[in-house]
Amino acid sequence: MILQLDSIVKKKGKNSILHGVSVQIPQSSFFVLMGPTGSGKTTLLRVAGLMDKPDSGSIVFQGKPVPGNRRELLKTRRKMAIMFQNPVMFRGTVRSNIAWGLGIRGVSGREAAIRIDKALELVGLGDFAERNASTLSGGELRRAALARVLVLEPDLLIMDEPTTSLHPSFKTDLLRRIKEIHAETGSTFLIATHDFTDALAAGTEGAVLRNGLIEQTGSLNDILFSPKNRFMASFTGMRNIYPVEFSGSEAELGGLKVKHTGERTGHGFLAVPPEVIVVSLTETVTSERNRFAGRVKAVERKGTNWDVTVEVSGVEFIAAVTTGALSEIAVSPGSLVHISFKASAVHLF
Amino acid sequence: MKAKEVVLRSHNGYIALFAKVIFRFNQNEWSCKVMKKTAAVFFFMLLFVLSGCGEVPPPVQSAEPAEVTEIGPDNGTVDPIPGEQRLRVATTTSLYDTGLWGYLEPMFEDEYGIELDVLYAGTGKALDWGMRGDVDVITVHSRSQEEQFVADGYGVERVPFAYNYFLIVGPASDPAGIAGMQPEEAFTALMQNGTASFVSRGDGSGTHSKEKAIWAAAGFDYEADVRTAGDWYVEGGSGMGPTLVMANEMQAYTLSDIGTFLAYQGDLDIVPVVDQGSILLNVYSVIQVQSSTSPELAAAMVSFLTRDDVQNLIGSYGVNAYGRQLFTPCAGQDY
Amino acid sequence: MSYLAEALSIAMSMILTGDQVVYSIAFRTLLIASASTVASALLFVPLGCLLHFGRFRGKQAAVGFIQTMYSVPTVFVGMLVFLFISRSGPLGGMGILFTPWAIILGEIVLIAPIVTGLTISALQSTGEGLADTAFTLGAGPARVALKVLSEAKYAVLTSVIMGFGRAISEVGVAIMVGGNISGYTRTLTTAIALGVGRGETASSLALGLILLFLAMIVSIAVNLIQHGARR
Repeated sequence: MILQLDSIVKKKGKNSILHGVSVQIPQSSFFVLMGPTGSGKTTLLRVAGLMDKPDSGSIVFQGKPVPGNRRELLKTRRKMAIMFQNPVMFRGTVRSNIAWGLGIRGVSGREAAIRIDKALELVGLGDFAERNASTLSGGELRRAALARVLVLEPDLLIMDEPTTSLHPSFKTDLLRRIKEIHAETGSTFLIATHDFTDALAAGTEGAVLRNGLIEQTGSLNDILFSPKNRFMASFTGMRNIYPVEFSGSEAELGGLKVKHTGERTGHGFLAVPPEVIVVSLTETVTSERNRFAGRVKAVERKGTNWDVTVEVSGVEFIAAVTTGALSEIAVSPGSLVHISFKASAVHLF
Repeated sequence: MKAKEVVLRSHNGYIALFAKVIFRFNQNEWSCKVMKKTAAVFFFMLLFVLSGCGEVPPPVQSAEPAEVTEIGPDNGTVDPIPGEQRLRVATTTSLYDTGLWGYLEPMFEDEYGIELDVLYAGTGKALDWGMRGDVDVITVHSRSQEEQFVADGYGVERVPFAYNYFLIVGPASDPAGIAGMQPEEAFTALMQNGTASFVSRGDGSGTHSKEKAIWAAAGFDYEADVRTAGDWYVEGGSGMGPTLVMANEMQAYTLSDIGTFLAYQGDLDIVPVVDQGSILLNVYSVIQVQSSTSPELAAAMVSFLTRDDVQNLIGSYGVNAYGRQLFTPCAGQDY
Repeated sequence: MSYLAEALSIAMSMILTGDQVVYSIAFRTLLIASASTVASALLFVPLGCLLHFGRFRGKQAAVGFIQTMYSVPTVFVGMLVFLFISRSGPLGGMGILFTPWAIILGEIVLIAPIVTGLTISALQSTGEGLADTAFTLGAGPARVALKVLSEAKYAVLTSVIMGFGRAISEVGVAIMVGGNISGYTRTLTTAIALGVGRGETASSLALGLILLFLAMIVSIAVNLIQHGARR
C-alpha cells in the first residue's frame, strides 16, 4: 500500500464533509475514486495529497505516518503531485510552466530540459514548448498541466476530474494517454471522477464515495459488476432494478417469480444487468433458469449497441443487444420475444 | 534553504524574528496568535527603520547662489536636502511675509556656518512649538502672550528688537467711512455699519491679539459681540499676506502690520485708511526657547538680532524698495 | 485673463530656463516621495502578502479597515505624525520634526493603506487555484507566496505607483510636519500652497505645471504597466 487513510474526518465550518473515510491505495495501482458531485471526492483528494489536514484520522504514506515536522512534510509532499480539475497555468511559456516544479527541487539546466521534453512527448505536446501558456485550448491546457506534474516523477500522482467537461473525443484520448503513462511509469495514480466510464477505461482499483463515506472499495471489477447495494448499482449504471419480495431462492416481482442464487426473505431489491439478458424469438432450451415471454416495447440505440425494452407481465426489462445480434432476430416494437437470464447473474440488495 | 538558515541564525534579532514569521506561515496553520506576533514584528521593524534615520549621515551640501525669486525668502541653496547643523526659528507670518528673514537668513548662516530653518506660523502656533521644544528661537509680536511664555518657564527672556505700526486697510472707496478715525472709533463704526466686510486673522496670531485688544478698547466683548456680529465679520485663519490678498479680493477691511502691507502693496488695491493711534504699536521680540537643544546658537541668534550692525540693517530694510522704513530698531529699549 | 496669460508665460520661462529654485523644489519633492514609496513598498507589500495568505479571525475586518483608510485625510495623518515626533511626543528624541525625514515618515504612514490594500487586491485577483497549484507542485509556503506575488507583479507594481502618486501630490502632511522651510522641506505642493496664498501666481503656476507633469507620468506609467500585463 502506498497510501493508507484511516477514519478521516474533515469538517468545513460546522458541517462534516468526510465522516470517517478509510481507504487503502495499493502501490502502482490506477485507483479511481468515484462518487456523485458533492460526495466529498475533492476534499478526500486534498487530504490524501497532504494539502489539508484532517480533523481526525491518520494518513500513512509509503509505510510511514505523515510527518508533522515542516521540513519532513515538504519532502513527503514532494513525492506526490496533484492536478486539479481546471488547471491554472503560470505566466510564460509552456516550458517555463513545466520547469517550475523542477526548479524548486533544484533541477535545472540540461537535466531539466531532457525531462521537460520527455514529459511533453508523453502528453503529445512536443511542439508546444515555446507557446505562451495563456494561448492553450482546453484540451491542450489539461495536457500541459499533466506534463507539469509528470515531469516531477512523483510516486503518487493525484488527479481531480481530469476528463470532466472535455469533449468526448478529447476525453477518450486523454484517458488513453493517462493509461499508457501509468503503464509506462509505474507510479500510483489516484483519480477522482464522477463518470464511471473513466474508471472502466483505465482503472484497476477503486472506491465509491457517497455523502462523505465509502460505500464500496476494492477491485474495479467488484465495484462495477458486483455492486454492494442499490445506490452502487444505479451509480454504476446498472439498470433493471426492482423492488421485490424475497422468499428463499426466489423473488416475487410483479407477477413474476425470479430465481436467484441467494437466500433471503422479506423486502428487498434485485437487479439484472442488461448484458446478461438474452433475447430470442423462440423459446430455446438453455441453462438459464429465468425464462419469460414478453413483447418488445422499444428498440433504441445505446452507443454502438442497442437497448431492447421488453415488457413481461407489466415488468419492463432492458436487454443490451449488439448490432449483430439484433439483425439476427430483427425485432421491432410489438414483436413477441423470449428473454432469459441466469439465476447467478441476478444481483440482490 | 541555505540563505534561509543564514538569515535565521543572524544575530540581528529583528531580522531573525521577521524571517521566522515569514517562513512559518502555512496555509493551514495560521492563527490569531501568530498574526498578532507578526503585527508586533512589523511595528518593531518600523521603529527599527526609523530609529536608524537619525543616524544616517546627511548628504553634503553644495552651496550655490541663486536669484531670489518670489517663492518667499530663500537662502539661495539649491541642494535639495542639505545637511549640517540646523537652528530652528519660528517666526510670525507677518514678519515672514515682509521678507525680512529672507534678508537676514544668509547673513546669520554665513556667520555661524549653520543652516537656519525659518518656520512661519501665527504667534499662537509659534508659541506652541516653543512650548513643545520643537523650535529653538521664536520671534513674535504679542507682548502679553510673550510675557506669559517666559513666566511659565518656556522662554529664557523676552527681548524686543524692532517695532512698527499696525494699519487698518480697506477699499479706497471707504464704504464704512472710517478714514482718519482713531482705531477704536473705526471699529465701532464698522460694527454699526454692519455691511462693509472685515477680514480677521482669526488664528491666535499677534495681529489677531492686537485686533482683539482694539475691540476690547472700543468696549466690545470679542466672543459675545464681535464673532457673532454677522456675515460681514470674516474669520480668515490665514497668515498676514494671504489675509491681505483675501481682503483685497473681497474689497474688505483688515488689520495689518505695516511691513507686510508694504511688501504686498504692489499687488493690492486696498489702501491704508487708519494709521494713527497709540494702540497700533506693534513690537517684535525674540525669545530663546528654554528647552532648545542648541542653546548657544539660540542665544547667538538673540544677540545677532540686537547687535548694532544688524539693528541698523533692520532699520534700513525696505527703504529702497518701498520708500519708507518697515521696522524701527529698538533693542535695549523698553517696548 | 491677461494677467493669467502673463503669469503663464513667466512660468513657462522659469521651467524652460531651469530656474534653480523651482527645480530644486521639484527634485526635492521627487526624492522625498520616492523615498517614502520605496520604504512603503518594502514594508507594506510583504504585509499585504501576510494579510492575504494568512488565516485568522478578523481577517475580513482588517482588510476592510485598510480599505477605509485609503482616503484618510492627509491633515489627520499630519496631525498624528506631528504629535508623535514633536519633541514633547513619544518619538521626540529622534528629532526629525521639521526635516524631510518627517515628511517621508508621514507619507509612509499616509500611503501604507494604499500599498497594503491594493497589494491584497492584486493577490486576490490572481485567482484561487494559483496558490494551490504552486503548493501541489511541491512549493513550501514562502515559495508559494513568492510565486503568487510574481504572477501578480504588474498589479502590485501598479499599487506601489499609486502610492507614489498620492505621496507626491499631498500637502497636509508635508506642511504640518515639514514646516515648509524654504530650501529644506519646501515641496512642490507646499510651495504652491504658500505661493497661492500670497498671490504669487507665476511661480505657483510653474510649480503647478511641474507637479501636473509628474502626476501625469504616474498615470502613464500605470497605463503602460497594465498594457504590458495584458500581453
